Amino acid sequence: MKSLFCLSFILALALSGCKQPQPADAHASHQAMAPTATAVATNQPLSDMSLYNLSSEWQNQNGEPLTLPQLQGKVQLMAMIYTSCTYACPRIVADLRRIEESLDKYETGDVGIVLVTMDPENDTPEKLKAFAQENKLNPDRWTLLTSSEANIQELAVLLNMKYKNSGNGQIAHSNIISVLNAQGEIMHQQQGLGTDPDETVKSIEALLQAL
Amino acid sequence: MHHRLTLIVLLAVFCWKAQAQKSLPQAMVLVKGGTFVPLYGGDSTAVKVQSFLLDVYPVTNQQYLDFLQKNPAWRKSAVKKIFADQNYLRGWETDLSYGPNPEKISNSPVVSVSWFAAKAYCECQGKRLATVEEWEYAAMASETKANAANDEKFYQRSIEWYSQPNPTYLPPVQQSFKNYYGLYGMIGLVWEWTQDFNSALLIGESRANASLDRQLFCGSGSSGAKDTKNYVAFMRYAFRSSLKANYTVSNLGFRCAQSLQP
Repeated sequence: MKSLFCLSFILALALSGCKQPQPADAHASHQAMAPTATAVATNQPLSDMSLYNLSSEWQNQNGEPLTLPQLQGKVQLMAMIYTSCTYACPRIVADLRRIEESLDKYETGDVGIVLVTMDPENDTPEKLKAFAQENKLNPDRWTLLTSSEANIQELAVLLNMKYKNSGNGQIAHSNIISVLNAQGEIMHQQQGLGTDPDETVKSIEALLQAL
Repeated sequence: MHHRLTLIVLLAVFCWKAQAQKSLPQAMVLVKGGTFVPLYGGDSTAVKVQSFLLDVYPVTNQQYLDFLQKNPAWRKSAVKKIFADQNYLRGWETDLSYGPNPEKISNSPVVSVSWFAAKAYCECQGKRLATVEEWEYAAMASETKANAANDEKFYQRSIEWYSQPNPTYLPPVQQSFKNYYGLYGMIGLVWEWTQDFNSALLIGESRANASLDRQLFCGSGSSGAKDTKNYVAFMRYAFRSSLKANYTVSNLGFRCAQSLQP
């Protein structure tokens, strides 16, 4: 009965609202979620400041569909790149690997790394996969994501990223590595390239102890 | 009988009042495309803006209320903080009432809305926010010229507008400055959200003359500006670069745009 009520409530919302993506309310996101290994964590309602409140749909490097709440349950490092980028992106990946090395003792089930493309037009799942293989990124640790330009922009603004596609194959962008806790809230941000990862590592370790 | 008559009269008055408060139709005008040199861009070259449609007026309080009635997720009490900060719709008394003097501000621009809220509103109308380039291109127009970039008087007037403090009640949108395209309030009313407000890389190392794909450090953003005369545009770029998507500001509103069907 309760679920029937819930369903009709959602239906009513969907009918009265607009067709465009809405911020997922707690019920809707749970309904839509595919069962995953992190099912336990996803039973908790998302906090107001969780990035996983975005209801957008994504694809990973294997071409599998994914929603952001599926990233729940682990500490996630998140950064934005594009694969045809020659200067900053290889360095940001290098920075992430440096952090990864210092977290060697932690399971891939506890810390994940997410790279989001800023160039969905060129970065198909296949390209992202090739990029991951070229850079020897451990698929258990690293998730590469693409979606529509609008969805990417929504995530980018929440990550405080500034970027501009000049249209000639170059994208001007800020370089930020964000540390998300298991619920998807930004706990720490490392700005710039070649930054000493000490503080970032410390913030991750603190989060892992709290897990 | 007497009572019934009173009721009918009351109802009629109520309806008439409701009618009077009904929102303005959200008309759009065509902004004919062209090229211009934005104040900030990757390269120093002109950019091309395709013809597009833009709302004649910024979105008003009444229009926003209509949107909230259909979209409870965006009401003050329901919205998630990540999508709109604690000052969202500041001044609104309740979820569905925008203030103690509604008749004074029903046609004033809605302010204290976040980028996410503005975006959701436009999407519900089948529209979108204008890009920075589209918005700046349309804002170059004076009353008589599509491109008033070389009109020093226009610049001067614009600066004076910006230097005035906000009135207690923002004026109705149709009382604001009307430009060449028939757009009201592009200058002199409120700041407006744009789709890619996060595209201005003012923190770029402008001395290296290439903010593209370089490490972003240092200030001195203004030295990268293309047209130092256009001080108001500089203010807009600077303002935008200070925003986050859930910020709400008491003189920041929005209007919607639409691409032309291909």
